[in-house]
Amino acid sequence: MEQVTPSINIETRRMELRGIVQLAGEVIAQYWPMRTFVHHNPLHSLEYLPFEETVRRGKQFMGGNGYLPGDIYRGYVRAGRITVDHLDAALKQLAADAHVNIGLRRVAHDDVLRACLTDGLCAPIVEPLDAELFDPMDELIEQVAARLGSVLLFQDLGDRIRTIVEGDEAALGHWLTLSHWCDDTLGTQIVRQINEQMIKWCEAFLDEGHATWTMPGREKGLYLAWKALAAHEWSPCGIEDSGTKISRLPDHPEDALLESLDALGIPAELRQDYLSLQLTALPGWAGFIKWRAEERDYVWQKAYPVGLVKFLAIRLWYARELVQKACREELGIDGRYDAVIAYMRNNSEEHYLRRQRVAGRLPALYAEEVDRLGHQKDKTWGNLIERYRTEVVPRQEVAARRGAAKRLLGLARALGIDPTALAESAPADLNTILAWMDAFPESKHGPVWLHAFEAGYHTRLLGQMNRAVSQPVSEHSVLEPARPYSQSVYCIDVRSEPFRRHLESVGAHETYGFAGFFAAFIRYRAWGKEHDTEQFPVIMRAKNEVREIPRSYLDHVVSRHEIRARWIHAGHTLLHDLKENVVTPYVMVESLGWFYGLPIFGKTFIPALYCRWTAWLQRLMIPAIATTLTVAKLPPAETAEMLAAEQQAIVRKALQELIGLRSSRITPALVEGLRQRALNGDGDPEPFFLDAATQVGISTEDLDRLINSLQRQYDLNARSASRHKERITRTGFTLEEQVLTVDTALRMMGLTKRLARLVLFCGHGSTSENNPYESALDCGACGGNEGKPNARVLAIMANNPSVRERVVKNGIEIPSDTHFLAGQMDTTTDEVRLFDLEDVPSTHRADLARLQEDLKEASELTSQERCGRFPEIRGPLEGPQAESHVRRRSSDWSQIRPEWGLSGNTAFVVGRRELTKGLDLGGRVFLHSYDYREDPSNRLLEVLLTAPQVVAQWINMEHYFSAVDNEVYGSGSKIYHNVVGRIGIMSGPWSDLRLGLARQTVMNGEMPYHEPMRLLTVVEAPRSRIDKLIARHDVLQHYYHNEWVHLVALDPVDGVWYRYRPSGEWIPVNVDSAQVEHHT
Amino acid sequence: MMNEIVTALLASVPFIGALLCLTVWSRPAHVKQTAIVMTMISLGATIALSPFLTVPPEGFLLLYLLPLAACVSILGQPTHETHRSAWVLTLVFLGLGVSILGSHGVLGKLALLVLFGLVIGLLFRHHSSLWPMSWWGIGVYGLGAAAAVTSAMTEPPISTIASLLACAVLLPLVPLHSGYFTALTRLPGNLPSFIVVLFPAVGLHGLVMLTPVLPNNVAVTIMGLAVIGALYGAVRALAQSRMRLLLAYSSLSLFSMLWWFAAAAGITTAWASVFVGAVSFGTSGLLLAWQAIRTRYGDDVDPQAVSGLASTMPRFAVLLSLTALAVMGLPPFGVFSGFMGLLLTSPVASPAALFAILLAWLATSWYILDAVQRLLFGQQRPDLPFTDLQQSEFAALLMVVLVVIALGVIPAGLLGPDSAPALTSAVTGLFAWNK
Repeated sequence: MEQVTPSINIETRRMELRGIVQLAGEVIAQYWPMRTFVHHNPLHSLEYLPFEETVRRGKQFMGGNGYLPGDIYRGYVRAGRITVDHLDAALKQLAADAHVNIGLRRVAHDDVLRACLTDGLCAPIVEPLDAELFDPMDELIEQVAARLGSVLLFQDLGDRIRTIVEGDEAALGHWLTLSHWCDDTLGTQIVRQINEQMIKWCEAFLDEGHATWTMPGREKGLYLAWKALAAHEWSPCGIEDSGTKISRLPDHPEDALLESLDALGIPAELRQDYLSLQLTALPGWAGFIKWRAEERDYVWQKAYPVGLVKFLAIRLWYARELVQKACREELGIDGRYDAVIAYMRNNSEEHYLRRQRVAGRLPALYAEEVDRLGHQKDKTWGNLIERYRTEVVPRQEVAARRGAAKRLLGLARALGIDPTALAESAPADLNTILAWMDAFPESKHGPVWLHAFEAGYHTRLLGQMNRAVSQPVSEHSVLEPARPYSQSVYCIDVRSEPFRRHLESVGAHETYGFAGFFAAFIRYRAWGKEHDTEQFPVIMRAKNEVREIPRSYLDHVVSRHEIRARWIHAGHTLLHDLKENVVTPYVMVESLGWFYGLPIFGKTFIPALYCRWTAWLQRLMIPAIATTLTVAKLPPAETAEMLAAEQQAIVRKALQELIGLRSSRITPALVEGLRQRALNGDGDPEPFFLDAATQVGISTEDLDRLINSLQRQYDLNARSASRHKERITRTGFTLEEQVLTVDTALRMMGLTKRLARLVLFCGHGSTSENNPYESALDCGACGGNEGKPNARVLAIMANNPSVRERVVKNGIEIPSDTHFLAGQMDTTTDEVRLFDLEDVPSTHRADLARLQEDLKEASELTSQERCGRFPEIRGPLEGPQAESHVRRRSSDWSQIRPEWGLSGNTAFVVGRRELTKGLDLGGRVFLHSYDYREDPSNRLLEVLLTAPQVVAQWINMEHYFSAVDNEVYGSGSKIYHNVVGRIGIMSGPWSDLRLGLARQTVMNGEMPYHEPMRLLTVVEAPRSRIDKLIARHDVLQHYYHNEWVHLVALDPVDGVWYRYRPSGEWIPVNVDSAQVEHHT
Repeated sequence: MMNEIVTALLASVPFIGALLCLTVWSRPAHVKQTAIVMTMISLGATIALSPFLTVPPEGFLLLYLLPLAACVSILGQPTHETHRSAWVLTLVFLGLGVSILGSHGVLGKLALLVLFGLVIGLLFRHHSSLWPMSWWGIGVYGLGAAAAVTSAMTEPPISTIASLLACAVLLPLVPLHSGYFTALTRLPGNLPSFIVVLFPAVGLHGLVMLTPVLPNNVAVTIMGLAVIGALYGAVRALAQSRMRLLLAYSSLSLFSMLWWFAAAAGITTAWASVFVGAVSFGTSGLLLAWQAIRTRYGDDVDPQAVSGLASTMPRFAVLLSLTALAVMGLPPFGVFSGFMGLLLTSPVASPAALFAILLAWLATSWYILDAVQRLLFGQQRPDLPFTDLQQSEFAALLMVVLVVIALGVIPAGLLGPDSAPALTSAVTGLFAWNK
């Protein structure tokens, strides 16, 4: 019993710690591998908090800004993107009914606040102590400063010191780690040192096939692998005797982490925040580890387990050692929380001077004196602080008065007041104005700017939509034929909007919006590929697998195709191995280096031509073959046959590799016998099998060894066969599943009657060169992959007569002459490719030709429109020019911006196409088709608001935060990007895994291309139904009550637009007068 | 006699300028303009009258550079009443410098004594208890003054050693570098950026006379001190965060190289003038650049407080980078040419010492680049106002860049009477084993 109790205690402590770490990890977002880039909110885990509060937390933990800099908003004011009316509306809550008189002018509180915003008067400018730069206003500045002398009071130095100590005490543990404290107070670089170590180990451990030489011992997990290797490092970061210390660490990462927390003396109530701070020091790597830890089935996670506890155990070991070292050497105290608090209280003056010195706020001579005193045993800080008090503080006060005078003069200029009037105004009035300005610092401007900015856009968009919806119904119905040429369904992606608009303009085509995975949750493996892709939103899970296979009539071509593909693959592997080998590169550079000149030349000077040439060469070597998809489930007999064929292939391979038998000598009896023995195990072998073995000279002992190898080495055993069978049975859909998928999809799309002869499901993908972010340009609803497989799956299902028969019975009118097509739009080139055309009935050839022609025209028009948004294109381009330009961009390996992607997204419209038809929405709106009349149970709307809206909000927030602070929430400039471990991007050779989007994706020079504003969801549905959904779903409450998403509804009951307030009430929006009730 | 009269005439120009400045004392802008004009007149007069002067072994280069340096240092200073005395003192120092470089008689010796006296007085005046090292500096200049007096009143070998000590104080050599350091860090206004040219020039002038007569053991001692100085300066510069101190250590390291070459060769060629001129002018340029920062952010701003200037002050960034490249010893700037000239005209006395010198030479690139990087790049402080160079500051820094380029590309024949032959003989000497 005595032995059991401690182990229970330890286990309890470990569990408790794991819980704390999980909570601490809330502040960092998961980071998906770059090959399936998933747009997400970097502060996603904090969405249960109001937006403004979350932004504050982001600043606290990650140092990121949640709003654009004031200068950019001011640029929007100058450009008319933000109007003064909207600014005043946003300021209404903050402005008090107060005024002062400057000369003859009455200056109200809101005048000052507005001027602060529009003229940047509240920027935290530090007035230098003895600046000598000539200013023509010097004389007036001095006069105003003198006037302020009697009223502008300054905090006593002692109070300032106390404030700093109290601030640090309050911050320590909450938003300041001991490592940060040492860096801020002692000028050490502990955080950087720890980060460098963590980057080194994470980079090596988390590598997914990028590194030629991999880190040994990874199967033991991050912590133990680090422990085994780091113990051999020689004094990392100057930590003495590190080898012994590391080897003495506990084997459990939880224990090591607890040990470090205890060594640092972090109080229990601060541990969660403290660990959050440690995670946010490297949010990229920590975010990726968080994602991997949650993906237990992920192949790399299974092989090399990693988790936040392990990560923190390593990080905190470095922290505790380095903090201890710095505190001992510099201050002679323990590197513990309580010792540091005691030091600050007992040596407040020293602490103040040291902090000021590190922050660069001490005059140079004082800074040197602080350095000198810092290295002396006999420290006399009192003299220095006294000298500082008598020499520097008065100069600081003079400078502060000058600064205040300058701000007042700036205000006078902004309000059109004669500046000399300030010199004659009452000092108390001047002081009041300064107090107003101080109470409205730049850090408080963000929410006001954002509300004003959003209000402007909302006014325009809702005004546009209101005009569209107010048009007489007959206008459309008269023009439209009874049956359209075609109906096509596009992803809700904002890039579909211009294309849909243009396609509708060139012919009688109807378009619909639907999440690009087309309700087909599939795991897909393309022909010739070795890995599956997950073709559904990351918030979902797949049940069915689909494979691309050659069409049955191409059997004779397949083997030839496979052989050629193998040769090409072998060539690639050989070249790769030669490049990565220790010795061969020396020879290779001389012998084959010149060969690489050809692609370099081609890609650089003639990218489009080179691209065409290589595509032609590829087609020549491995001609494309027509394929289909395994949409239907295999019958049991066929499954067994397929399984047996695969197992027999394994046996043949083993016979060749292990025994060295030529294929001509391998008999079917021998293969089948071996297969059966490997699967069924013991028992006497069949005589025919022994005969077959004897014929090829295999003895009984060899047979036993061979069977053993088949079971162990080639994984051919009953267990794996069962697993394999289960996987094969997951392939495809049952008839019921197909019916359900088609029925759901068509209903959600609103395609329940009046179907055209051709209905196109059009996914989307992109084409770009040398672009690690290429999956960010693909379909987010398809898990960052191309949408082609999903479109094909749905089309194949919908063309299945059995499925159609059942769907028609369910009430969806699908005419017998309707054929479903699959296609994919390339969002970089705007080209639409159609698939499985050989399945199109000959009766539809003319319809198909017309559709292809119109798609081509729409594509050209879309390219023209998009080219107008590229900053380097000055004037409008003709159709063919635009087409050629976008193609060139897609094949140019130096192009940092192949397309704008989803940048610019602002709104999500859920409603009938009539709401937006004919409107130029600038490629900024997610459009999801929805007809409330077809959804009496509210089920479809529930899905739309809890799934596509979530994806849209993630995309929106990813862009928002990447634009407002690209260095923290984005990934910085592409110029410095380097791919690391095939999982992400680092800036330069050594950095955190970069989150978010590149600067070139969201910024156009110094101004954002993506105007960061929160998503506006517009729903055409009765408010009562929406209310029910909000009440039912936490995610919707978080979005609307915490102001992550703005919700506006067009209530068909009374035809009025309503805005949903965070308080849960609806208020009418007066869209006619272009006024949006906002923030009041 | 003719030489002394011409020197006196040349020296009188800046002195007159100083007096003229006093007449417009109440108007700082006029004081500055007058000072600049007088330095230009001084330069013109020096060029015009130099044919009447005896050509010193190091050539006239340093004599021409002095008024130019004075002009640049005043031009780069903001127009502010607190700098008036520094401008006037610059003219006074210029007059003294011209007297020392031009005269071979009593005028030069007297000027040297006044120079020491003046700098001691100024350092005493600007002493701060937060900078106790000032006393060492004042003491070293006192030693320099005593050495100058001794050398004037005694015969060789005492006078030689005394002169050598005075030279080591002016053209800094370990362990007599404290004076130079104190002058660079404590003198007010633009004086450091002029002193950094004046003192080494005067020191070199004295050294040129001494090197041929130095006893061998003294030369060996100097070489040892020079190697130590070069390495010490480089190592200390690596650890500096203060700009003026960094430049002081950097120039100590570079001047120590000159001492090494001079002691090793036993003769000082005109390449030494190019080297000293380029190093001191480049350092002066960096001091001016730092002055631009101080003008904006206060006289005793902490360098660590300012960064990210490349985007906010692009003109400043370009000129600072070019000046830094010059001091780092990259072609085509004068420091590179001077160093190469010295390297090729001096025998290699000790490969190990040469290696140490080259190491110190390479280290210059490290710390200068590091300092410039810290200023120009890094996090931009949002609470600081940024104003790019004003016209006069821009002109001053541009002149510095042009001068250091000119020193780098100047034909060897124009440097002095013995530069080309010396170079030739050294180069041929290198290949003597082949004959």
